[in-house]
Amino acid sequence: MKKTFLGGVHPLPHLHQGKPQTDNKPIKDFVSDTVCIPMNMHIAAAPSTPVVKKGDHVLMGQVIAEAVGPRGVPVHASVSGTVKDIAMVQQLGKTASQCIIIENDFNDEWVELKGLGNVENCDVDQIIPAIQAAGIIGMGGAGFPTHFKLQVPPTKKVDTIILNGAECETFLNADHRLMLEQPGRVVDGLRAAMRAAKVEQGYIAIEDNKQDAIEAMTKAAQGRKGVQVVTLKAKYPQGAEKQIIKAVMHREVPSGGLPADAGCIVMNVGTAAAIADAVIDGKPLVERITTVTGKVREPSNLRLRVGTIFLDAIGACGGYTVEEPGKIIAGGTMTGICAPNDTVSMTKTTNGIVVLDQQEATSMDESSCIRCGRCVEVCPMRLNPYHLKNLCDANQLKEAKDNHIMDCILCSSCSYICPARRWIMSSIKNARELIAQRGI
Amino acid sequence: MAENNNKPSLHGIFMNGLLNENPTFRLVLGTCPTLAVTTSAINGIGMGLAATFVLVCSNVVVSLVRKLIPDKARIPSFIVIIATFVTIVQMMMQAFVPSLYEALGIFIPLIVVNCIILARAEAFASKNGPLQSAVDGLGMGLGFTCAITLIGIVRELIGNGSVFGINLLGASYEPMLLFVLAPGGFITFGLLLGIINAITARRAAKKGGEQA
Amino acid sequence: MALHISTGPHLRAKDDTQRLMLDVLIALCPATAASIYFYGVKAALIILVSVAAAVLSEYVWQRLAHKPIRINDFSAAVTGLLLALNVPANVPLWIPLIGSVFAIIVVKQLFGGIGHNFLNPALAARAVLLTSWPSHMTKAFVPMRTLFDSAAATGVDTLASATPLLVPGTVEVRDLLLGNIPGAIGETCKVAILLGLLYLLVRKVISWQIPVIMVGTVALGAWAFGADPLKAVLSGGLLLGACFMATDYVTSPMLKRSHVIYAIGCGAMVVLIRQFGNYPEGVTYAILLMNIVTPLLDRALKRKVYGEVKQHG
Repeated sequence: MKKTFLGGVHPLPHLHQGKPQTDNKPIKDFVSDTVCIPMNMHIAAAPSTPVVKKGDHVLMGQVIAEAVGPRGVPVHASVSGTVKDIAMVQQLGKTASQCIIIENDFNDEWVELKGLGNVENCDVDQIIPAIQAAGIIGMGGAGFPTHFKLQVPPTKKVDTIILNGAECETFLNADHRLMLEQPGRVVDGLRAAMRAAKVEQGYIAIEDNKQDAIEAMTKAAQGRKGVQVVTLKAKYPQGAEKQIIKAVMHREVPSGGLPADAGCIVMNVGTAAAIADAVIDGKPLVERITTVTGKVREPSNLRLRVGTIFLDAIGACGGYTVEEPGKIIAGGTMTGICAPNDTVSMTKTTNGIVVLDQQEATSMDESSCIRCGRCVEVCPMRLNPYHLKNLCDANQLKEAKDNHIMDCILCSSCSYICPARRWIMSSIKNARELIAQRGI
Repeated sequence: MAENNNKPSLHGIFMNGLLNENPTFRLVLGTCPTLAVTTSAINGIGMGLAATFVLVCSNVVVSLVRKLIPDKARIPSFIVIIATFVTIVQMMMQAFVPSLYEALGIFIPLIVVNCIILARAEAFASKNGPLQSAVDGLGMGLGFTCAITLIGIVRELIGNGSVFGINLLGASYEPMLLFVLAPGGFITFGLLLGIINAITARRAAKKGGEQA
Repeated sequence: MALHISTGPHLRAKDDTQRLMLDVLIALCPATAASIYFYGVKAALIILVSVAAAVLSEYVWQRLAHKPIRINDFSAAVTGLLLALNVPANVPLWIPLIGSVFAIIVVKQLFGGIGHNFLNPALAARAVLLTSWPSHMTKAFVPMRTLFDSAAATGVDTLASATPLLVPGTVEVRDLLLGNIPGAIGETCKVAILLGLLYLLVRKVISWQIPVIMVGTVALGAWAFGADPLKAVLSGGLLLGACFMATDYVTSPMLKRSHVIYAIGCGAMVVLIRQFGNYPEGVTYAILLMNIVTPLLDRALKRKVYGEVKQHG
């Protein structure tokens, strides 16, 4: 039986969610001559501190910045070569980030790696330290440090890990290709995480529009303890943490709580593959699969080194098909973040680079709400987006909070479906920032 | 709007009732008769003058006895005073203008509970001397009369093609009955209220602009 | 290079307000065609005047009020067309003219324009016309031509009522379906209306709940009062109202579950007015009354938000 949640949208039906451009393109490797690695790729902890100097020679996988605090993660060199500079560079965030720029010598000389061996019988207590040492963070987009996620406080009873292979976001096929090409790695990573978090059940949840991935994963999961593949209905935002828990487990995360409060840990399949690399081979997270698509000549799924400049990645796909791109999005078109220019770096969380042309990028005029009720219908959190938008516009933040504005997951389904082209999610996001600032 | 000196001039009090604090369009008081009886201009004038008479008389009497009435018993006292004058008006109208009396019906006795009259007794007459109170009653009463006559004119013109019973739009005009029915009252009142608000807002903005 | 920057979603769904209103216009095409077939030039003129007046008054108002001109969202055209379909063929042309101006200026724009009106503009205007000029609005000509042969069309030239509700048992179901009956120009041909409904449902402009439940309630009510449910459903303006007026986005509730209550309310009002009211037909007032209840329904029925649960374990 296909599992799902209430609400949601089927985005861009006329483009088949933008997926056909890349869903049958095998993963290609691409290495650029320079990488620019930001120190703040993760959330929930301070940026890492550089431990190399300008001019240092670094090996691939060498720690170039150390973790700060128990939640922090180290950053590793993703190429071997020379540190060209350590500087503040404008990335996707509002302010510039500290970055280490390394010139590639194309030798791909690795530091000495020491893995724990087989995930089923390695030392359980070594798994989480290995994950932290590998610098692994949530690769679905959020960037929450994985070692911290797996350390379940004793007050919470977590019984399930859900691997998120829904990939409901438009245009992206990175997870899809990963599950097709390296299903064993994904399952190994899941098993390692299950052992580390002392969890008996593991689900790999995949949308039904990726039948080939479901087959591959089911085959790989055969005979592995507690691992099961579940089929989800293809729908956005099926891959949102709260929605996938609802669909797979029929549980809801209490308002204001974490997945652990519903007895679950949710991880991206990419994160699981990275865990497998870290535990089995001791390999740090220095590369990831990214879908580069949209208005580029040869849309592809690339295995890119962390810190690759967007323009290089786009160049690897034959460059732009338009003279002047309108928007470059890190992620899909539903929740992706706009890049201010094409010289930003891809990070551990960049699962896609989507290029839109001028016409697609021009935002449409907002008109009056016609009360069609579509936003209410599609809201996966069962909120009243039109009402929240009105409250935000009227600056009634207290009322907005009383109307559960903090429960919004910012999936932007409401804005997507709105026939009046209203920026509902934007207003909600701004209002939430104000609420946090003013402590309402 | 409110004068800064404590003793406003009689002219100020009068104009206050007629325009600045027009009971119908600015304070939105006494809307029940405003909506109910304004099906024609003559009804509006009749109702307005009857209310004005009661307002002036009751204001004067309340003002005269204001120091004798204990605070706790003031509302019943006001009502009794007002009711006396209403009864007088009712009987006079029945005697001299029976057709108007018929047309206004229950709304004549209901002047007793008209918010405007009670409000002026409470807010003005019980705090001011009889002369001021009389002028205030006259201003408020005429403000009310003008307002509901205006509503009556509009409704009668559209809903009946006439004003004060004189046919203005010719025999071929097919009157829009809605305007002499209840919804027409609400619509006319709402529209006039809106127009007057718009005019005052524009004037205030102009004044503000000049001062700045 | 100047890149656009915004939050998501970066690409939107295709249906915008204009497209949805255009869909309603397309769905009204069969009914419009039928009205012109049955009532000829008269109907065409009424439709023309009504739509033109609606669009023009919207334009003039937005111009005078210094608002963005949005007549190209077709909402005024929809209002004008719906109003036209709701008047009988023999009315003088100033009736749809005044109706359209009233609908757009008083009912729609004075409350803030599209999305802010609390009554359906076309219906409110029809109620105004009905109250103001009852003699024009309730006298209906029988169609100037009929579809196939009909017993109803061979009788007198005019009927005193806009609806055959007053003379039950005299009209064949087939004539009710095809439109060989007197009535407002757009409400008589039920086949055309149902075609339009089908289009709206296929295009997912509206959901089935409101029309089906409203009509169902009326059928049930008619049966309870001993009338023929089928004829009750096919008589008067019920189908036109249920398919095109009760489903108006602006004046119907947001939630699906409120739709059920709203539709039952509309249906029950129709039955009550037809059975006990002074008017022979109650669809207009029934829907207007439920329009007024809509904000209350939106407030009263709230969904349980995701996460209003206890912690696991």
